Amino acid sequence: MDWVTMIFNGNALAAIGAALAVGLAGAGSAKGVGIVGEAAQGLVTEDPDKFGQALLLQALPGTQGIYGLLTAFVILNQVGIVGGPMKDLTTIQGFLVLASSLPIAIVGYFSGIAQGRAAAAGIGLIAMRPEEMGKGITFAAMVETYAVLALLASILMIFGINL
Amino acid sequence: MAIVRMNKISLLGLEADKEQIMEALMKMGVVEIVNMEHRVSEDEWSQLVSKDGNEAAVSHLESDVAKVKSAIESLSRYDTRKKGLFASKRTIDSHQYNEIICNQDRVWEVVEQISRYDEQLSMLRAEENRLSNLIATLEPWKSLTVPVEVNSTQNTIISLGVVPAIVDTEKLKQDLYEQIAESYLDVVSTDKDQSYLLVIYYNKYEEDVMKVLKTNGFVKVSFKDIQGTIVDNIRAAADKIKDIETEREEVEKNIAALVNEKDKLEVLHDHLLVQKDRQKVLSNMVKTDKVFMLEGWLPKDKSEQVKKRITQQWDCVVDIQEPDKEEEVPVLLENNSFVQPFEAITELYSLPHSKGIDATLFMAPFYFVFFGLMISDAGYGLLIALATGIILSKFKLEGMAYKLIKLLFFGGISTFLWGVMFGGWFGDIVDVITSGKYTIPPLWFNPLNDPMKLLTWSFIFGGVQLYVGMALQAYKFIRDGRYLDALFDIGFWYVLLTGFVFMILGGALGTVGKNMVIIGAILLVLTQGRNQQGIIKKFLMGLLSLYNITGFLSDVLSYSRLLALGLATGVIASVVNTMGSLFGFHIVGIIIFIIVAIVGHVFNILINALGAYVHASRLQYVEFFGKFYEGGGRAFQPFKINTKYINLEDREAI
Repeated sequence: MDWVTMIFNGNALAAIGAALAVGLAGAGSAKGVGIVGEAAQGLVTEDPDKFGQALLLQALPGTQGIYGLLTAFVILNQVGIVGGPMKDLTTIQGFLVLASSLPIAIVGYFSGIAQGRAAAAGIGLIAMRPEEMGKGITFAAMVETYAVLALLASILMIFGINL
Repeated sequence: MAIVRMNKISLLGLEADKEQIMEALMKMGVVEIVNMEHRVSEDEWSQLVSKDGNEAAVSHLESDVAKVKSAIESLSRYDTRKKGLFASKRTIDSHQYNEIICNQDRVWEVVEQISRYDEQLSMLRAEENRLSNLIATLEPWKSLTVPVEVNSTQNTIISLGVVPAIVDTEKLKQDLYEQIAESYLDVVSTDKDQSYLLVIYYNKYEEDVMKVLKTNGFVKVSFKDIQGTIVDNIRAAADKIKDIETEREEVEKNIAALVNEKDKLEVLHDHLLVQKDRQKVLSNMVKTDKVFMLEGWLPKDKSEQVKKRITQQWDCVVDIQEPDKEEEVPVLLENNSFVQPFEAITELYSLPHSKGIDATLFMAPFYFVFFGLMISDAGYGLLIALATGIILSKFKLEGMAYKLIKLLFFGGISTFLWGVMFGGWFGDIVDVITSGKYTIPPLWFNPLNDPMKLLTWSFIFGGVQLYVGMALQAYKFIRDGRYLDALFDIGFWYVLLTGFVFMILGGALGTVGKNMVIIGAILLVLTQGRNQQGIIKKFLMGLLSLYNITGFLSDVLSYSRLLALGLATGVIASVVNTMGSLFGFHIVGIIIFIIVAIVGHVFNILINALGAYVHASRLQYVEFFGKFYEGGGRAFQPFKINTKYINLEDREAI
């Protein structure tokens, strides 16, 4: 029965939550930034002057990873894994923390990729009409709304849990 | 209002004065000349006038500009003088300018010289490419000692060729030897794509040999343009490349020696550019033998000035008229220096329609507040304001770049103010350095301790902005005389939404709110279907309109990003501080702390300033503009002096 207690250890659950938040959201961002990067390479081959604009668009899907890191850090901080002393969490508390990491983990992963696609299309836009970049950014930023909402949900949940 | 009122101008002048009048208009730079081409096709006009303009001259000037430009570009490669990130135009006085333009033959000589050098360079480059390609094709045959032109003896044929790398050459050799014993095959070399083969055989067996080889994908290779052994050829080509390199260096040195002429070239470039613009605009105008005519737009408050200036100096007719009601007028925004930077946000979306409202003035305070709130760190704010302030004072920026930098400057100030309110100074850096002995207390409260409070405030800010947006839509209705629309579409929604707010507040107001919600809902159901036919359709549409409540709800919830992004900055900043302090505070630890802090905080500022810019804009575009804004205006493009490199101190010179 030892492993059961280990799995249901509150602190371990919280750590898994933090890992999921930073891991999944970061993976989504990495994919998204990669997608835009590929499109941007093509553009810059044709027109090196647009590097700055392209970089701006590429940075957009990077925020999900930061939100994930942020959530992970808040979790670690609340539990005391960082900035100690470590608290002893009950199983229930552990599950609560784990649950609170899920919004940003899941939404971060998918919105990072989706935003990457939208921003990559924005690269196509600035290739033809660089003056319309504001609109391209706005389209990509619409996707991020849901990552922001998920971050908010995650953070409110963590701060709301009594540890 | 901040959209400049425009007047229509028509000008009739003598062909003899045209040059001077156009020059004067260009220098004033406040008149947009519209295309009159469509007039020429109208019957009553076509008999009288013809289209002005000289396309040949324009294209000639265009090619001249392109020539000078490419010369400047090739000079720039060798220009070692320091260039700032924000290159601003040089100012020169008319004396210098005239001297250069009067002696432009000498400048043209330089341009021709540079274009000759460029041609030489590209020829050298082509030759170098050819030679390196040759070397690449010869390289696999390097170990071949037979001169390439020897491809047969009296009774034998010597063939060179390749087979794909997947072919097993040992097996190929065996096959060949089995079928035609009097033959010889040697693998000269192999790379990842191909094997390079030398085959010798009696000429009478050629067909049989080829049959065996071709089934294995053998392709003959022959070197037509060269003679001698492969190694000699490679050596010769390599020597030639070396020669080309020295020659190229020579030419580049020659170009670099002309770098001092670059300034003059830039003057010539801008001179030609202005000439071209002046030629080009003529094609918008019409003329007869003795008279020319133009039509255009100009700001209302400049009208009299322009008229006086032109009619005083020359014999001509200038007619100024107010535009018709339905006519689409070019749009020029005018705001005071505090609001002006925010025009960048409006322009990036779309210029307001000429009959719409310039939203910049109403949007600016919200943008200012939101940008700062989304970063909300006093230290970051100071850095942003400082950096952009230095750029603003050191460089003479124009147009969009100026507006954006100034926008960031204001954003930095707002960030600072919010940072003071929330007690964020590079996150919790003071706390970390003093190990918790000191903290800078927030003026208001720390959002990390009470995120719900800031969330509520975010919704309140959002609600206020949405109410303002709706009020602007009501203003538009009232301005157009649609009073009922204003009451039904905005007024009743105000009742309903305010009722909800009261209900949330609860207490005595809660009951009032409940009644307001009910009354508002009834009024909306009764009025929102008014454009439909038939009572049932009217009622159903009215009922359906209540569904818009979800729209308002999601609009308000969208402002929660104010909290989320603000928290993100603060938490990342404290992550940076914590990571830096992990090594303790002895000498090595302090050095590590400083490095981590600088890198981390700079990264945090950049990523969050980008986020704040993007999301503050988004809130304006989607939530605020969505309520009332009408875009699609055409920008006012006055006929003016447009230069790339220089500013003339005395505009009389052009």
